[in-house]
Amino acid sequence: MWSWSQLRVVQALVSTRGEYDRLFSIYVPLAIGVFLVIVVAMIGAVIVFRRRPVERAARWHEHNRLEGAYALLLACVAAFLLYLTFTTEHRVDTVADRERPALIVDVTASKWEWTFTYPAYGFSVHSGAVGRQPMVVPAGEAVRFDLTSADVIHSFWIPALRYKHDAIPGSTQVFTLVFSRGVFPGQCAEFCGLRHADMIFTAHAVAPSAFAAWARSRGRGPRP
Amino acid sequence: MRGGAIPILSWGTLLLILCIGNWVWNDKPVSGAAATAAVITVYAFGAALWLARRESIRRGPPGPASEPESVPEASVAAVVIGLSVGCALFGLAWSKFLLYFGAAMLVLSLARLVIELRSERSTRQRTAADRERR
Amino acid sequence: MSVASARTARVPRMTGWLGATVSTDHKRMGLTLGVCSLFFFLLGGVFALLMRTQLAQPDMQFVSDNSYNQLFSMHGSTMIYLFVTPMAIALALYLVPLQIGAVGLSAARLALAGLWTWLCGGLVMQQGWFASGGAGRDGWSSYAPLSNGTNTPGVGQDLWVIGVILAAAGMTVIAACVLATVARRRAPGMSLLRMPVFTWTALVSVLMVVSAFPILVFAMVLLYIDRHGGHIYTGFAGAIDYQDLFWFFGHPVVYVMFFPYLGAAAETIAVCSNKRWFGYIPFVASIMAFAALSMAVWSHHMYVTGGVTNQYFAFTSTLLLVPAGIEYFDAVATLIGGSIVLRTSMLFALAFFIQFLIGGLSGIFVASPVLDYQAYGTYIVVAHFHYTLFAGSIFGFFAGVYHWFPKFTGALLRESLGKLQLVLMVIGTNLTFFPMFFLGNDGMPRRISRYPTHPGWGTLNLLESVGAGVIALGVLIFLVNVVVSLRRRVVAGDDPWLGHTLEWATSSPPPPLNFERPLPPIRSYAPLLDPRQEGSTAEARGAR
Repeated sequence: MWSWSQLRVVQALVSTRGEYDRLFSIYVPLAIGVFLVIVVAMIGAVIVFRRRPVERAARWHEHNRLEGAYALLLACVAAFLLYLTFTTEHRVDTVADRERPALIVDVTASKWEWTFTYPAYGFSVHSGAVGRQPMVVPAGEAVRFDLTSADVIHSFWIPALRYKHDAIPGSTQVFTLVFSRGVFPGQCAEFCGLRHADMIFTAHAVAPSAFAAWARSRGRGPRP
Repeated sequence: MRGGAIPILSWGTLLLILCIGNWVWNDKPVSGAAATAAVITVYAFGAALWLARRESIRRGPPGPASEPESVPEASVAAVVIGLSVGCALFGLAWSKFLLYFGAAMLVLSLARLVIELRSERSTRQRTAADRERR
Repeated sequence: MSVASARTARVPRMTGWLGATVSTDHKRMGLTLGVCSLFFFLLGGVFALLMRTQLAQPDMQFVSDNSYNQLFSMHGSTMIYLFVTPMAIALALYLVPLQIGAVGLSAARLALAGLWTWLCGGLVMQQGWFASGGAGRDGWSSYAPLSNGTNTPGVGQDLWVIGVILAAAGMTVIAACVLATVARRRAPGMSLLRMPVFTWTALVSVLMVVSAFPILVFAMVLLYIDRHGGHIYTGFAGAIDYQDLFWFFGHPVVYVMFFPYLGAAAETIAVCSNKRWFGYIPFVASIMAFAALSMAVWSHHMYVTGGVTNQYFAFTSTLLLVPAGIEYFDAVATLIGGSIVLRTSMLFALAFFIQFLIGGLSGIFVASPVLDYQAYGTYIVVAHFHYTLFAGSIFGFFAGVYHWFPKFTGALLRESLGKLQLVLMVIGTNLTFFPMFFLGNDGMPRRISRYPTHPGWGTLNLLESVGAGVIALGVLIFLVNVVVSLRRRVVAGDDPWLGHTLEWATSSPPPPLNFERPLPPIRSYAPLLDPRQEGSTAEARGAR
């Protein structure tokens, strides 16, 4: 028989890339459409009214009711965009964080390296200016990141997942990501001094069983 | 002068409304303090204008000027004030001598400013007296 | 209205360069501020060319990492604190008293002191290049704790902080004087709703300066103390507080860097369409609302910090599209039905509106937190703000220059060179900044001194660097145009374009007290257009 906990597992995990792509697919065509309409109107007006004799230039210069209606239309567009953005942001920031994570990774950013600690297994890997050890994670499962910084503000960014979060000293920033299988380059996205350009890392998302094997071989086994 | 304070006070009110909105959804003390400072600055400007001339909050176009306006031609004091403030703050980071030099020049230039303002005031009074006589 | 003038006894008459230095004539102060800003533009441009040379190919080390960090920080700082903002104030300083029919600026001595304070700020900031360790190198925003004494030691960063304090304080003072002038010195008949469009954009700009810039000065004073032993911006709260304070200034300043140039482009479009600007009342209402709203959106620069209510700032930031849309409606409606002349100034104004639109629409894009989680800290944002500030505001600036240069100097700028400059700048600007949208989305962060080969970013970066060179060529053509036009003068006369506003009712350049002839009657925001239109109506009636 189905139990409620099983049903929760069946629900799709929040995909940051999916949410971004959905919003992108509405915002960008809308923007392109608006751009084309205005540019055609401007250039069209210039072409049509070029070199008209000055006496024939129109005298009218206001139509407050029309502008009021236009302002209302713009407000509706804003409301529509806000509805989309609020619902998406709710999923990415709130719903995702309520998912039970299959893995917790402690990320410590410092000048100019990343330290990924797996508390359940008791080991760390280092990346960035010091080394190129990959951060291995299980694919298809919720991975919670507890992010902090040892010195200045850095930013943990994985472009393929369309998500970043600042690492701020004196705080632990918590967020949850879901990876599909593959290799994901990452980079610091907040200027942090001399070797900001070298503060890169790579995430390898592998099958959960492969991840477990890797983690056990690196650490002392999963803690109860 | 007429109506001059109106856009300032109106904008200050717009700002106040938005700052209240800010505070409701984002009640951070630092932001609240910054916003309050901004609103106070704008209102203070408008209030200063109103205190200088009551008609600055009355609507309508300005009428002809009632007294002679004064427009200074040049001011050595102003230039030295600017340069001495710059010199003093530069000296704060670069060399103590410049800090003291800048401070001294600031005092001297402020004194010169007083002289310039007094001179302008006496010229304005003389011109007004000449006009009365005619 | 006759103006009796009397000279004060104690001030000796000075001519030439020295005279220009100590003059309290708002026109000379405006020109001084404008010319100095232009020098800083060229300096900031050189920094940009050096940056683009470094980034032209992967793994280049044309300059060291430390030098690159200084270059991008000083490029942004020079452009924002020392060019675009003060140039906007310079335009206001020169034009607002003329447009409102005033004889001079209120509190002119205060403005002159502010001007020299600003100039000292610019020089102090650049002095950092000669400090050991180098100039300011933490970006134009100089986040704490990166910019504190532990992480960025050295006098160069100190000089940067002091330079910003001086520049911001100076500009605040000048803005206050312009504000007082609008309030107190409008000519008889010049009610608020008869002030020209440019004056209104200048008015909301100086309101934002006066209310927001002091917060920057405060934040920077605290930063200076923090760098010298005071534990001010410590921990998570300190880092977020710094950003809250900085961006409380940092967002309004970008609208200060927009509105006067919008005003310049709007005046140009109206004059070159031989129609007064459409929708004056909604325009005034929308720029007042836009300016006020700009002070309520600042934390959209902080979406990824986890320290702000993202949804509230997404709300206020997205709302900005409403007043912006009204402004575009007015621009299009002014063109429709006009008698359009495609002078260089008009072409720059049209380019302003079209290119700024890309910047504005990308702004609505990054106003959405989820989209910003990808875009923040990448070349997407770099593209966005260069489209608004450079492809937008600076093209509006050049529209204003070609429109008002005859008024400032009495000579016309060459149209042929102007159009060549426009073409080069349009090509260069779009070549430089459009590919940045793609690079950012592909994963290229901003403020990196070099990038590796494997992501394949080399081709687009090379195109962008070529584009930067084309822009430089366009700017060079502009400088040639200025020199040629001043050397072999073509006399402009009082009103070469059939202008609408009062600055065209006096000589070019205007006399010291602005108006020697009596002003025409002021019955609308286009006082010079009214009698022309009434005249032709009367003529048409007479002919029947």
